[in-house]
Amino acid sequence: MNSLLASAVAGLSAGGAYAILGVCAVFTYRLVAVVNFTGAAIGAAGTFVMVTLYESGYPLAIGVPAGIAAGALVATWIGIVMTTWFAGASASTKAAVTAALLVGIIAVGLRLTGGQHPHSFPELVTGSAFRFAGVEVTRASLLTLAIAVVFTLVTEQFLARTRTGLQLRALSLRPMAAELIGIRVRLLALCVWAVVGAVTSFALMVIAPLRSPDFMSLSLLVVPALAAALIGAFTSFRAALIGGLMIGIIEGVASGLDTFSQYRGAIPFLVILAVLLWSQRGARWDEAR
Amino acid sequence: MTSLDIKGLVVNRSGIPIVRGIDLSARGGEISVVLGSNGAGKTTTLEGISGIIPAAGEVLLDGENIAGANAGTRARRGLRHVEQGRTVFAEMTVEENLAVALHPSANLDEAYALFPELVQRRGVNAGMLSGGEQQMLVIARALVGRPKVVLIDEMSSGLAPVIVSRLMSAVRTLADDGMAVVLVEQFATLALAIGNRAYVLRRGEIVYDGGCQALVRDPARLHALYLGEAGQAA
Repeated sequence: MNSLLASAVAGLSAGGAYAILGVCAVFTYRLVAVVNFTGAAIGAAGTFVMVTLYESGYPLAIGVPAGIAAGALVATWIGIVMTTWFAGASASTKAAVTAALLVGIIAVGLRLTGGQHPHSFPELVTGSAFRFAGVEVTRASLLTLAIAVVFTLVTEQFLARTRTGLQLRALSLRPMAAELIGIRVRLLALCVWAVVGAVTSFALMVIAPLRSPDFMSLSLLVVPALAAALIGAFTSFRAALIGGLMIGIIEGVASGLDTFSQYRGAIPFLVILAVLLWSQRGARWDEAR
Repeated sequence: MTSLDIKGLVVNRSGIPIVRGIDLSARGGEISVVLGSNGAGKTTTLEGISGIIPAAGEVLLDGENIAGANAGTRARRGLRHVEQGRTVFAEMTVEENLAVALHPSANLDEAYALFPELVQRRGVNAGMLSGGEQQMLVIARALVGRPKVVLIDEMSSGLAPVIVSRLMSAVRTLADDGMAVVLVEQFATLALAIGNRAYVLRRGEIVYDGGCQALVRDPARLHALYLGEAGQAA
């Protein structure tokens, strides 16, 4: 029992990252109407900028901000592509474009980072925070959890209580009407992309040492991220937060069970499948009647 | 005094000319009414002026040509377009719909003074309002942006006559407060009753440019202009 709890707690760190990425996916969908497949790849780009600087001898105090800035820049570039050529496109077209961009970013990322050759990822936070029921809770787990919760709450309050938040909500509901009342639609959209890039980059920097440290593996964290966003129906930040944490914990528990440990990577796919089937239940029941 | 002058406006959709080189103007304190049958090019004209769709020609706002600016820039310069279809932000409250458009020198009380009906509904999501209330909200939302010129497209569509009269009265108030209003409307009689200058569009061209009262006094002529039996510029 204690080993299961230890596995679940171990999954908290990944769960925190999934939650951040999931909340960012909701953030992008709600505010700029894009199902973004590039979220984790953007974070991977920022993370590898940090790693490259670190491996070149620069201190983390330079590498981390530079990585965050690089993630924000890559995300802004994607935002420019989306707002310049696909502003009026349908949601499915935009999603397809980000899927294509994901493939491109992975290809370029693998080329620039030496394929799947592993790098030396520095741990931004080390050590144990405290012990819970005999299980060690790491500072990295706590930090990702804190970032996920704070980002969710700050985002909710920002959208509800600030003028820029109001403008972002208006933009997400009716982009053209927002533009016609003078809102700087493109600038706001690019800010959304930049924030997503910065946050995902930092989140991946924290958890990268715990994952397969190559560009492809980090980029494919988009799968649990989208599973978390799906749990929130791409609208609820809190549900995406909880969903991301749950997926991480379930993965952690599965890794502690011999029978399931080799299949734990499939858990996000199972979650996506389950959520999609659940969301279709009304239509199926109607059809059956 | 505020002025909007449109010169040689040409707007195409999918390569087909919809608006064919029209001239139109509006002055502060006046309502310019744009009439015409379905497909005449009224909505396209407004979309070309506000920058929603690309257009050729000059859009002179207080003498400055803003034709090269995008829709957002034109809006910030003082040209507000109230689209047809009651484009409220449905999941935001009435108050939030107004606040998001609020100019620093304006306040929400101006909107509530124009439409007291909205006061009781200020905390309600705009998507829950009736059609008439939604139309009031989008007009009020334009008002609190402190525009120089307001383009209003088919605000009466799908509304009861008593509501339409209420809206027409509010639009007249906006003009009396100094705004220039360009009003595209299907209900010609009601629009002409509050308007100063009328334009009748047919197949993308202006076939009447003159006073509203001349058309009010001569319904047969208005009918003929709509149907194309006696197209002429006054």
